[in-house]
Amino acid sequence: MNSYPAELLVQLAPVMFVAGLDPPPESSTSTSIAPQTLVRTQSPPPAPTKTHDPFASLVARLRDALRSQRKVAIWAPERTRAFQMIIVGKDVRFPPRKLVPIEDPAYASAHSPLSPLTPSSPLYPDGLIAPIWIRKHTALVPSVFVLFLRLFEAPAVHARSPLDPPDPEHERDKTEEERRRDEDLSAEVASRKKTTNERGIKLTVVLLATRRMLDDPSLDSRLTFIRRQSGLDSRAALFVLSPVSTSELNDFARSLQDALYEPALEYYISHSKRVRRKRNRHSQSVSSYNPPPLVSMGAASTRPLRPEGWTVRYEYKMACFAEFRGEDEVALKHYQDAYATLMIMFGSTAILPPRTKRWAEAKVLADAMNVKITKLYLYNHEHSLALSHHNSHMRRFADFSRGWGIGEETFEYWSWMARQHRVLAELLEQGSNSSLTFPTNSPSSLTASVTSSGTPVELDAVRAFGLNPSHALQHPGHYYYMAARCTEARRERFLANEGISQGTSAAPGYVNEKKVDHLTLILELYTKSYELFKKHSSTTSQGRLTLWIAYRIAHTYYKSEKFDVAIRFFERIAKTYRREKWKHILRPLLSAWYACAQKLGDVELMATLLVEMIGYAQDVDESRTLQEDLLAILKSSVPVSTGKPLVINLKESDPLLDTMLVFWTPEVRVGEAAGFQLSLATPTNMDLSALPIDTVTVTFSDGYYPVVLRHSPPTDSQVADRVVRLVKIGQVVPEDEDEEPEEICADLRWGPGERLMVSGSISSEAPGLLTVVSITVVLAQNGWTIEMPHEPCVAHEISTLVPRWLTSLQPIRFLQLRRNDYSSVIVRHRPHELAVSLSHQAPALLDEEYPIVIDITNVDERHLDVVVDVLLQPTEVDQAAQYITFDDQRSSGLIKGIRLGTIAPGVSATKTLYLVGSGAPGDRMLDISVQSTSVEPGSMSKGDDNAEPRSSSSLSEHAAIDSCEKLQTIIIPTSGALTVTYDVAYRRSKNAMPALADLSTIEDDFWDDSHGGVAVVTSRIECSAPCGLVVESLKLHRQDNPLAKVLDCSSDESSDDMFPDEYLPGDEFCNVSRISLGPREEQVLSEEKITGPGDYEVVWRRILPDGGFGRQSTTRFALPTLMILQDELIALLDVPSFARLHVPTPIHLTVRNRHSSRSANVTVTLDLDPSDAFVVAGLRNGRLPILLPGSEEKLSWNLIPIECGHVKIPRIKVMDVRRTVLPSQGVGMPSTEVDVEGEAVKVVDVRADWNTARVESAGDGAVAISQQDGASTILVLP
Amino acid sequence: MAPPLRPNAVAFISPQNHPILIRTFEKGDELKYHYVAHTSLDVIEERTNGPTKSNDCYLGLLYAMDDIATYGYITPLKMKIVLALPLTDSVVRDAEVIMTFKALHLAYYHASSNPFIRLHDTPAGVGSAKWKRFRRKVDEISRAIGGGSVPS
Repeated sequence: MNSYPAELLVQLAPVMFVAGLDPPPESSTSTSIAPQTLVRTQSPPPAPTKTHDPFASLVARLRDALRSQRKVAIWAPERTRAFQMIIVGKDVRFPPRKLVPIEDPAYASAHSPLSPLTPSSPLYPDGLIAPIWIRKHTALVPSVFVLFLRLFEAPAVHARSPLDPPDPEHERDKTEEERRRDEDLSAEVASRKKTTNERGIKLTVVLLATRRMLDDPSLDSRLTFIRRQSGLDSRAALFVLSPVSTSELNDFARSLQDALYEPALEYYISHSKRVRRKRNRHSQSVSSYNPPPLVSMGAASTRPLRPEGWTVRYEYKMACFAEFRGEDEVALKHYQDAYATLMIMFGSTAILPPRTKRWAEAKVLADAMNVKITKLYLYNHEHSLALSHHNSHMRRFADFSRGWGIGEETFEYWSWMARQHRVLAELLEQGSNSSLTFPTNSPSSLTASVTSSGTPVELDAVRAFGLNPSHALQHPGHYYYMAARCTEARRERFLANEGISQGTSAAPGYVNEKKVDHLTLILELYTKSYELFKKHSSTTSQGRLTLWIAYRIAHTYYKSEKFDVAIRFFERIAKTYRREKWKHILRPLLSAWYACAQKLGDVELMATLLVEMIGYAQDVDESRTLQEDLLAILKSSVPVSTGKPLVINLKESDPLLDTMLVFWTPEVRVGEAAGFQLSLATPTNMDLSALPIDTVTVTFSDGYYPVVLRHSPPTDSQVADRVVRLVKIGQVVPEDEDEEPEEICADLRWGPGERLMVSGSISSEAPGLLTVVSITVVLAQNGWTIEMPHEPCVAHEISTLVPRWLTSLQPIRFLQLRRNDYSSVIVRHRPHELAVSLSHQAPALLDEEYPIVIDITNVDERHLDVVVDVLLQPTEVDQAAQYITFDDQRSSGLIKGIRLGTIAPGVSATKTLYLVGSGAPGDRMLDISVQSTSVEPGSMSKGDDNAEPRSSSSLSEHAAIDSCEKLQTIIIPTSGALTVTYDVAYRRSKNAMPALADLSTIEDDFWDDSHGGVAVVTSRIECSAPCGLVVESLKLHRQDNPLAKVLDCSSDESSDDMFPDEYLPGDEFCNVSRISLGPREEQVLSEEKITGPGDYEVVWRRILPDGGFGRQSTTRFALPTLMILQDELIALLDVPSFARLHVPTPIHLTVRNRHSSRSANVTVTLDLDPSDAFVVAGLRNGRLPILLPGSEEKLSWNLIPIECGHVKIPRIKVMDVRRTVLPSQGVGMPSTEVDVEGEAVKVVDVRADWNTARVESAGDGAVAISQQDGASTILVLP
Repeated sequence: MAPPLRPNAVAFISPQNHPILIRTFEKGDELKYHYVAHTSLDVIEERTNGPTKSNDCYLGLLYAMDDIATYGYITPLKMKIVLALPLTDSVVRDAEVIMTFKALHLAYYHASSNPFIRLHDTPAGVGSAKWKRFRRKVDEISRAIGGGSVPS
């Protein structure tokens, strides 16, 4: 940008002259400074000389405040009605409008001193426009003139007392003085007003007055007087300012600009109008255009400005005035018109002959206009239009340049191109410092901007369609980069030119070009670009773009022979390129780096780089050439640091040799040898046969002597099989052996594709991971020792990394291994030899403590510390319960850590585990884990106490602990030992039902079994175990509940002689108990069942096969669940079991109504058959009183038997005559005929009342009731 | 109307940012396109990891430098394809570029589906000199889009 006049580039703003602010003491010197220098140099504010004078400081602060209102800048897109303030002297004069004085008659036809028509003008006769014209409007002629003047104030008179009347004499003097001073002031203003009026410049006066004066009532009249006297405008022409603070001064400056902005616009509009008028007149008369007469006075050879030139001139002026007004669109339009016309002029060498002064001026003007147009587009965020204009500008001039003979082959062309790129970069850089942002150009952001922002529609359409990549705005770093590239091209052309012409070229500009330091220029541009790339790169990026530019910078340094700087750059760049394996770009970098090292004579760096370059060599020839270079260095020089080897780390770059380490097995036992093969090979495109490799050192994991292979030239017999050579190194020697292993001789020269196989074995006394840590290739020559550590299993890209095991040398045969961890071997302890046996007598019986004997024998050579864990698996059988006991621990799941102590070799240890299963038979499953840890026999004396801390402290080195685990699962079938069967019989109670209002029923211990009756439970217990049992006792544990109680039990009396007794499978024994039931009414209704009031406890032992007895076990059987008889209306017949002949025997019939709610209407009939053996006394046929629910009626008869033997008793019919009752109601079969008038009620002989139920087990509630049938009989004795 | 795309170079870059294949269709300037591919990674990473992250495969114009414009594409498996187009003053239609990228991606996909290739043996994988089919396919694509009507 510095290559163009600043006037042509800066953003224009309305100009305001500020006069009357001269600092008091050196006012004469400061005002003499030319205004335009004030604009640019921004002379430092004068130091306040008299701080006590408020006006002096006010003036100083005003100067600062006004000057800081606007900075001259190229990039200023904001439109804030800001003026360009220029502080001038009071007596400043404007440049003359025309050269001739106004009185002269030639004034009308005269032109401005800058016009091409004026012979003294620098533009005479055919110049377009000069920067001086803009300077005139930015520095010499304002649009607004502000004059600061001091309002006279009479010195304050201190009144002797506020009450004193003012001194009339003094007052009058004061007024007169004021009037006189105001007149002077008005005259001064008026004279200034006259000069400004001539040019249509607005004049504004600011009067400085004290704060006291502001309150003075006479101020208004004085101001009016001054305005009238001086002929100032009525609007915005007179301000009064008193000394105020800086912030208020800024507000004042702001309001001053706001007030004067309109007049300023008017000023520039009038200029625009004038120019437009001239342009219109000119374009109308263009055909008949005659040069003004003044031209004829000039030299005949010069031609006047062409019509196109005038158009450019006028359009440019109008553009400038529009810019002054802040009308960017109008300015853009005019600039474009001017630019277009200028292009027409450039198109013809007749109009603008190349390489003339005017041509050069026009070129500068065109470039500057391009910058302005681009800038105005950018203000409006029309990036692609801006770039499009800039690109087309460059393309057009590139085309023109070819016509002018300064095409691409000249340095001038590239110099100009570089300048264009640079100008754009600088413009963008300035813009990005304020308001300009750069689009990301990613497709998603484009679509987002289409939907959200209000960009013009046609722009969106273009973007949705696609993007012209050359119109995509990028950050200025790109353009600086382009400028640098162009400058590089410029330098190339220049050097070529110099080469041809031998420094005496006649090419124009050559002398200047010779003075240019191209390389510094290139560096500057690249550095700028580098900084901007760095600034604009996101935090996530790896800086590859910056590295690319750094690479260019390094090259430039190299060209400018600053090799040390270049090397630093190369070093940094190579790091990333190596890491990312971009070999193609790394190789030229290494070559350049090597060239630098060569120039510096750094032999160590040269050697390092050469070794790395050999690793990257593309083909055999290249690798040979590089080796020759390396050999030459090694032979011709000595290392800088003697005695210390030069270590070249090739970890990140390609290795010299392809290495491959393969172990035969993935795992070995302690002390066992693990075979391995280490392959060292060159790829097929490399030849290392010239490298003076002295030794190859293979370093293993800690604790082994490294294996050293020393070079020895092959004998003739070996030469034949060079492609794959096998070196056997035997067992790798651990470090604790005293004897250091010998070096092994091998042929350490590699031709293309040759392979050296190092075969050996390694063993370890401790468990762990064994591998090769590094393979160091050592070159030795002429005092040089160069060490190159290689990692195992690295390869060049060309050779594949496949694990192969050499199986045969002749013919050469490999076996491919299909493992992933082929490059290491894991050493493990040998497993412990423990014999574990589990013995038990299956099946287990329920409720038995079933012993399982765990017997562990140590058949190993080591002392083993054994710990047993047992896990009882949850069973799947319903209702099964189970637990295990082991060493006083009891659990239904896991028992952990039962110690068996340290078992010496050959010794066995035994522990018994007990399993108790109950509930239901089924399989039980146990997991037994035997863990062993080998211990040193010596540490046994310390006992078990230190075993715990030892294992916890060595937790981290878990692998080092020699421990083993054995798992065993056993399934134990479990069967029941005893089974029980219950038979239950129910008998109705003969007891009378309590009366309805019997108070005793509500007492606590009242027991009423009249409903429930008695249940007789017969329990049959069978031995179902597969082996014999000894039953030791049987007991009924009574658990009477409110509904049932045990009356008596057969085991209560006679168990002494019955137990203990042996029972074989299938043997049974019996027990009977009677249970009285007393259900509550609500239980009867809901048909609930009654739990058995107690359980049997059987104590027994298993008879072992050897005749002994097992542990005492206890089995419990609960009494069965009992039922409640459901009767409604029932008749109970109580007949004695025998009678005597002819003796009256009473029989009783009880009719009970057990229905809960219904009363019963019952008839009773005694049918006396003639064949009957009785004479009956009593009711024959009758009706009972209504039976309420829960009540009963008893009838009695006297029978007198008249026959002996079993005789039937007379038939008694009981009928329920309620019609509503359904016929088949009741339980069981009716024992009497159904009468049409009613339903027969069951007559039950209480002697034979025996409802049985068989219950298989305690929980089973299934009941089948059988009812006796047939008529009752009685035995009559004689 | 936009002229047909005439790619200068195509670069396939592995998810680990190693070059797989850099195919140049201009003679004598191979190295330059290695640099272009390498520097493009910067912009690709910025686009894929930056705050304005998008899940689109097509990354659009990466940058324009010297006389070429680079376009980027990232496959769901983070393999990157960079297309270097000559910088002409004409609109490059996104649809065409995307189509080209899809064809290139498919070519890579077909090549890497070869059961005899062991992708992890060498960083270059299908791009190595052993596998000619992939190169041929890439060349064909470039000819097809660049040549337009030229039958091949």
